[in-house]
Amino acid sequence: MDASMLYALRDPLGVPAAPIIFLLLGVLTWALHIAAVHVLLGASSLTLFGSLNKNPHWRRLADAMVSTAKIAVSVAIVLGVAPLLFVQVIYDPFWYTSNVLSAWWVIGFITFLIFGSLLLFIFYGLNSSMKTKPKTRCPGAMLAAIAFFLVVGFIMHALSVQMLKPEKWMEWYAPGGIVDASGRALHAYNFWRFGFFISLSAPVIGLWLIAYRRYLLGRDNEDQSYLAFVRRLAMPLISIGGIIALALYVGWMATLDQNVASFALSFWSIITVAMLLLAVAVPFVLSKKLDSGFWGYAPFAVGAVALIVVGAMREALRWATLYGVHGYNALDYKLHMDWYSTLMFFLTFAAIGGAVLAYLLTVSWKAGQTKGMYVASPMVNRMGTIGISLLAVWIIQYFAIGLWVAYSG
Amino acid sequence: MDLIGLYPTWYEPGIGSGWVIGLIATIHVLFSHTAVGAALLFTYLAYLGYRDDRPELIDFIKKYGLFLLVFSYILGSITGPGIWYSTTVGSPRGISALIHNFVWKWATEWVFFVIEVVGVYMMVYLVGKVDKATYLRIAITFGMASFATMLAIVGILSFMMEPGMPNWAEKGGYLLGFYGDNTFAQLAIRIAFMFTMTAVVGGIVVAGLKDQVFKTWLARRLAVLGIVSTIIGISLYPWYLSTLPAQAQIVMENRIPDYYGTAILTVLLATIAYFAFTLFKPRMLTASIAGLATLSILILGLFPGETIRESARKPFVAGEYLYSNQVIAKDVPGMTVKSEIPTLEKVGFTHASVFWPETQRDITVNNAHEVGRTLAIAACSNCHSLSTTGIRPIAGYFGGITDVSRIKTYLLGALATGNTMYMPKIPLQDKEAEALALYLASLADPTVVARYVEENSKTADAPQKVLPAIDDKKTTSPVARVNVSFPTSGLEE
Repeated sequence: MDASMLYALRDPLGVPAAPIIFLLLGVLTWALHIAAVHVLLGASSLTLFGSLNKNPHWRRLADAMVSTAKIAVSVAIVLGVAPLLFVQVIYDPFWYTSNVLSAWWVIGFITFLIFGSLLLFIFYGLNSSMKTKPKTRCPGAMLAAIAFFLVVGFIMHALSVQMLKPEKWMEWYAPGGIVDASGRALHAYNFWRFGFFISLSAPVIGLWLIAYRRYLLGRDNEDQSYLAFVRRLAMPLISIGGIIALALYVGWMATLDQNVASFALSFWSIITVAMLLLAVAVPFVLSKKLDSGFWGYAPFAVGAVALIVVGAMREALRWATLYGVHGYNALDYKLHMDWYSTLMFFLTFAAIGGAVLAYLLTVSWKAGQTKGMYVASPMVNRMGTIGISLLAVWIIQYFAIGLWVAYSG
Repeated sequence: MDLIGLYPTWYEPGIGSGWVIGLIATIHVLFSHTAVGAALLFTYLAYLGYRDDRPELIDFIKKYGLFLLVFSYILGSITGPGIWYSTTVGSPRGISALIHNFVWKWATEWVFFVIEVVGVYMMVYLVGKVDKATYLRIAITFGMASFATMLAIVGILSFMMEPGMPNWAEKGGYLLGFYGDNTFAQLAIRIAFMFTMTAVVGGIVVAGLKDQVFKTWLARRLAVLGIVSTIIGISLYPWYLSTLPAQAQIVMENRIPDYYGTAILTVLLATIAYFAFTLFKPRMLTASIAGLATLSILILGLFPGETIRESARKPFVAGEYLYSNQVIAKDVPGMTVKSEIPTLEKVGFTHASVFWPETQRDITVNNAHEVGRTLAIAACSNCHSLSTTGIRPIAGYFGGITDVSRIKTYLLGALATGNTMYMPKIPLQDKEAEALALYLASLADPTVVARYVEENSKTADAPQKVLPAIDDKKTTSPVARVNVSFPTSGLEE
């Protein structure tokens, strides 16, 4: 499939802002999404392990992690919407083709994700207080949930790999010159790549546990032996998990297609390794400092930055493949600048998203740290009022502009 | 090179990709509308709860919120992108048109969606853990953000039927595409029915309340909410219909099965009857009755409603410029989009499509049947099943006719010229029409293919041979009647 065919598949409507913006937003939101996915997989695995253990620390951890997993699945889904949106904007020829060629798996993705999420909630509902009850009900639900999440991840992985292989598309769509429109097959995958992304769950949940431990430290009279247990668990998850992830990364780079093999030693590849090593090293370097100030949260913050770099590397590889090999430049998409919708998004994102989420997260944080009822300070109340006011302004402008457009003649 | 950007096609012979999209979309409508309605209801109940010092109301918010966490915020959150996924595989250029017009609106909705998800967790898990004023602020924030998600999406849904303003095609731009009569009519009717759904689904939670006095009080309020919103929704329907484009009105009058209207009206009246029952006999409300009412709304109300909305916009799927078979039908100068019809008229699907087997670009006697199948998949299968099951099976439109030349005449006379209402113009080349006709004939009688090959192998340029004309007056087959009216069939939905 040559470049002219790929360009022909582009949507002739063009894009309403510079393509680079969609590319950058895609990388950033993907990193947020994958962080939530890693927390989900890590927390789910710890829940399962802990729920099958009689050690009270493990049971308490399982109790905390199933709540984490429950929220993480919601967050992963909601954060996943954004990169899914942006990939369709500038990589539409590749994303749509890859999806159509494996259509049943795409539908399966939705179905399996529903199954996995429901099973997770069923397990949560059946085991609402594992730390006080010695028996775990239906651990198979949690196991099955994890299995479904992995299948869902694999489908997404395959779709992402397929979109990078335009040279194979016709062979998949019409093997032997006969169209097969069934969409029943997954055509391409790379277990090293899939393994790398999944294995990152181990160090990420390790970093999360360090932050969780720091959060508990903020409470009065916290059980010190439990805090020590969490730390003992987190450190090897970070170090051993990190090494396994790096090994799988090397495997992925070693199995890249020949025409992009040089990417393995590119700037983006090297900085990815460096950032992952840094993220693994930070908790060990900080060591005792983790208990003081906000240092306990620093490792997860570094991990989040590392995931953004991983996202950038993934994007760079896509660029190297689609532009370097196939001649498709995602950044020369036809531009139909639409100032209103572009500015409205960024204003909403920064002003409303920023103000409202800052308020909600502050309240959540403070409530979690407070024993008994949390009474918001005047400052926090003001944040809430500002957030509500901004939402009201947004709704008013929606109707004001809309009615003016529709009925001003 | 004359290429048009047609993607591969997903053809699902069992139920058809259209039904898959429809099923997911319908389920999502229930989840998402309930979520928005419940968010606003929560805001009101939180206000009442703290104003009148009624902790049982806050407790109800927690119970309904927990239920909604799974019902709307897991299942709804998944089926939302699920619609993207299903339309991606069923109608990639359709979803692309919406994405490329409204990407920022969707991104804006996403911001509100994030707030909404954080908000619902806080509504559920911070009951009794934060002071009243803070909880109320959270409730108001949650309600407004949830409502904003509906505001953000409704103009996009309207664009599927028609651009907001008629001059969008000339001038382009987000505002003219998003806002219009239909946007506000649709918004009003959705707001009304979202409260209906909220009241019905809320009944499942109310049914489980132990305190009979409180159960009675709440069931009656939900009943009043349900009756009022249903009546308002019904009364808004004429306004909504008046905002539909003329083409959609004609399609609705002619193509929608009569029982769809009856089913919707029945379910609406049954809904009012259900609420009357819960109003006067609130203590008899059980989870199974409320669940059955929810299911009835889903199957008998939402599904036909969504199907009508889907069918009425045919032959287009977006902005009145993109055909259901993914071909761009009209120029949109405001967005520098060119119609692809001239290209198809010039070189045909076989040479214009990106995803076309090289061995099928030139049509011969020997590959004509296979080319016909590929054409049917590319140009027809989005709306017509090629098997005997699924959405509008195509074989049913030809009444068992196996005469290739007659089918070809229909294809060239009615479809290629765009003279069939409800159907896209499909500008087939002469050879393409013959290949497609051969394939369609083979659906009724597979032996046609062998006979065709045998007969036409004797002539060098067989696919281009002149076909005998059809005498319209002598035949009663739907194929022959299409020049005066589009084909109908008992199999039509």
